[in-house]
This record gives sequence, C-alpha cells and structure tokens, in this order.
Amino acid sequence: MREQLVSELRKLRTTRTVAVFLLVAVGLTLLGAFAEGLSPTLDELAEEDQQRMLIGGAATQAIFLATFVGLLAVTNEFRYGTIRPTLLFEPRRRVVLAAKLAAAALVGILFAVVCVALAFGAGLAILAARDVDLALTGGHALVLVCGPVAASALSAMLGVTVGALIRNQVGAIVALAAYSLAVESVLFLTFPAVGRLLPGQAGNALAGLPDEDLLAPGLGAAVVVAWTLAFVAAAVARTERSDV
Amino acid sequence: MPPVLSAVELTKRFGEITAVTDLSFDLDAGSVTGFLGPNGAGKTTTMRLFLGLAEPTHGRALVFGRPFAELERPGSRVGAVLEAADLHPGRTGRDHLRVLAPVAHVASSRVEDVLALVDLKGAADRRVKGYSLGMRQRLGLAAALLGDPELLILDEPANGLDPEGVRWLRDFLRGFAAEGRTVFVSSHLLAEVAQTVDQVVIINHGRLVVESALNELTRRLAGTVRVEAATPDALEAALRNAGVTAERDNGALHVHGVTADRIGEIALAANVALRQVVTESPTLEDVFLELTAEPPS
Repeated sequence: MREQLVSELRKLRTTRTVAVFLLVAVGLTLLGAFAEGLSPTLDELAEEDQQRMLIGGAATQAIFLATFVGLLAVTNEFRYGTIRPTLLFEPRRRVVLAAKLAAAALVGILFAVVCVALAFGAGLAILAARDVDLALTGGHALVLVCGPVAASALSAMLGVTVGALIRNQVGAIVALAAYSLAVESVLFLTFPAVGRLLPGQAGNALAGLPDEDLLAPGLGAAVVVAWTLAFVAAAVARTERSDV
Repeated sequence: MPPVLSAVELTKRFGEITAVTDLSFDLDAGSVTGFLGPNGAGKTTTMRLFLGLAEPTHGRALVFGRPFAELERPGSRVGAVLEAADLHPGRTGRDHLRVLAPVAHVASSRVEDVLALVDLKGAADRRVKGYSLGMRQRLGLAAALLGDPELLILDEPANGLDPEGVRWLRDFLRGFAAEGRTVFVSSHLLAEVAQTVDQVVIINHGRLVVESALNELTRRLAGTVRVEAATPDALEAALRNAGVTAERDNGALHVHGVTADRIGEIALAANVALRQVVTESPTLEDVFLELTAEPPS
C-alpha cells in the first residue's frame, strides 16, 4: 500500500494537471476575495456573515477544483491506458483505489491549505485597506480554517470515485460539472431542505459558508462523509469486477 | 514446477461476441513462444486474461500455476507490454519509469539501468508525446523489465520498430530466453518472429489451431517438390496412377504431399528419367496461411 501511494503521488507530480488546477484555484480564490471584499458597502463588510463569505467563499474554489483533480487521477489512467501498467504491478484493485483515494485526499488538503491561507491573507488585507475591523469570532474562524481542508480532502476522494464509476474522461467531467453547477444548485435553490443534504452543499456547510439553508458544519461533515463512503463502496464494486 | 503459462479451457465472451473459445495450452520455462494469428484472432484478449486485466467467462488462465492477481510482487515475476500507447503523453520517459519503480520494488538506479538497456537515455527527459512509436515500444519494454521478471508477455512488440529495432528486439529476446527465462510474444506477421521463436501457438477465431515446436511444424507440413522430367506427360500419368496430384508449370511439375524419395520411386517404376528434383520447404508464412485458412463453405 505504501509503495502504491508513493507511485500515485509521483503520478500526480509528474504531469502538469495538478499544477495547472492549483494555479486556477489560486486565481479564483483571489478573484472571489476581491469580489466579496470590494463590492459590499463598509457597513455590510463590517458584519460577520459578510466576512465569513469573504474568507470562506473564496476557499470553496479549492474544494471544487480538488474534485476534478481526483476525477482526473482516475480517468487519465483509462484515457491513456496507464491503468494497465498500474494493475500489472499491483493487481489488487482495492489497493490501487485506496492509494488513489489517499493521494487525492492529500492533494485536496494541499489545495485547501493554499487557498485558505490566500483567502485569509487577501481578506485581512482588504479589511485593513478599507479600514474595517475583523468581526470573526474564534469559533467561526476555526471552522473557516479546518472546514475547507476536510471538505476539500473529501471532495477529492469523491472525484476519484466518480472517475472510477464513469471512467470515460469527457463523460465524467461533463457529468460532474453539470451536476455541481446545475443540478445541485437548482435543487438547493428550489428545495433547500433536500438540496442541503447533497454532497456539494453539505461540503459548503462543512467549509463554514454562512447560509441559513445550509446544515450546521458538524452535520455537513457527517453528510459528506456518508456520501463519500457510499461512493467509495460503489467504486470498489465497479473496480473489482470490470475488465480493463 | 507448474508451467509458466497455462490456459485451461479458456473462454471469454464480450456480450454476443466470443473472443476466445475453449483454449488450452501450456508454456514451459526457457523458451520463446510465438503467439500467432491474424488480426482479431483473440491474441490480445488471451494476454489480458493471463494478466488478470479481464476475467475469463469460463476456464482458467494461470501464470506460474496461479491466477495473476494472486502472485506476490508480480512485477518481479512477469513483465508485460500490451499496447505501446499505454503512456501518459505529458509525462517524460524517465518519470513514467519512476512512477512504476516503487510498485516494482526497485530503486531509482534500476530506472537508469533499463533506460540504458532500451537505449532511451538520451530521450528520457522528453515528454512521451514527442516519442516515435518505436520509442514508445522501447519505453513500454523498459517498464516491463523494471522488476527483472522471469516471464515477458509482449503484444505485437515489433509494431512501429524499424528493421534495426526489430533485429535488436530479436537479439534481446533470444538473450533473455538464453538465461532460462520465458518469452510469450504475439504477432500477426510470421516473418517477424520466425527467426526468434522456438515454438508457436497459433490461434484463429479464438480457437487453438496448433501448438508445436517450430521445426516440427515445418517438418510436419510436407512441402512442394518441383520435378523436371525428360517426359513430363509420362511422369504426370505415373503420379496420377499412384494417387499423387501434380500441377504442370511449363515443363516442370509441382508435386504436393509426397517426399522426393517417393517421387523418385514412382518415376523409376514408370521408367521416366528425371532431370531435376527440388524440395521446396514451406515458409512459415505458407504454414500459417494453410493452418488459418477458412474452411471452404
């Protein structure tokens, strides 16, 4: 398992995918911080909820992009056929899947740490520049640091399972993008009681976004973990059985 | 000791299509075996079954007496290259091997060894998308050799190689087998492997056609004997009386299915003087075509 994890991490390091996605996450985080920090009035910005959006909202980019990195970690192997050499050296498919999940989780953590640090840095700089006092309570600040890290790790793992289930790269990307950007958002807006139980919104809750319709962070964490476990079980079943 | 490779009543269906049907053969250590058949005969599917990449519908595919997935450290027992394209285009050649080194349980120095072995040192830091097909084949082979395996399974390895590359591969495979190791190499072109293999397993439409030592196979299938006689008409009549068919080609006769000795005896009995008798041994290509020919419908 350790060797497989080293191999999976080397796979992620030796192509440009992770670097490109991290760069995009950084860009979107900064863009989000500027949007949330510069558009509100000074009064609005002085409120804690707006400051939570400023810092937490920016960090959600890490979560979204980490999901795609997880997805690509699997679908690239099928697209380019490298899954065959991978399975020739480690035919126990569960071990390969577990290593991919672990490697993706580490990338998710990396993305979140970078983006959270940037969001805090940019957020605090904007507050200072606009001469607004920091209104974050200790509890909310802690959630804004730890939440995105956990949510990003779990999302990257979810991405791995979606890749393992769909395999076809274009199909998986389209399915994931359509689901996150359309299906889930619409459901959440129209039926928040149902929509907040979906993995993306539960992840936003875990990341500490201030939205009354979202679950509490702890509950959000439990729901994301449950989704991840269910998808891992489905991915294991598909991976064990099918020909490559 | 169990056979290196063993197919036992192996059958694989993909939906309606049966790719491999009731295939059984064994392979012993220290040989180079050509796995031959026309395109679409089921060669790649059979190799995937041996390597645990696909599950048999029926029967068993065993490597060293066990299903591939049950081998301990399979990278040090079996090296395989299925498709030269099984590489990430954005990764360098060296990185492709460094990714696999931990799971092959080898040190990074081994990466340099196999790069040198396949003569890719100079291109090792280039991304694979800039590689020629021949370079991809060699990189695939380098990966297969990482764990210093006892058995090599290669699917059409000569594809994309230039004549020099084919010669290099032939020498390499002979040397590999000379160390007591085993090679199982598929091809749809006999000329490619004729000088490399000791034995052949020929399949067509997913079924075993023949499994045999190469020299036995060419011996078993009698060649054509070309005969020139002073009186060809008399010889043709004598052969026909003896139940032997012959084709006229100007003054010469092409006789199938009997040895030159027997033709001499028939000619002597018929008092025909022979001017020239030449046994034309069949090329492997002839054997192949004859064995895999569609039965007349």
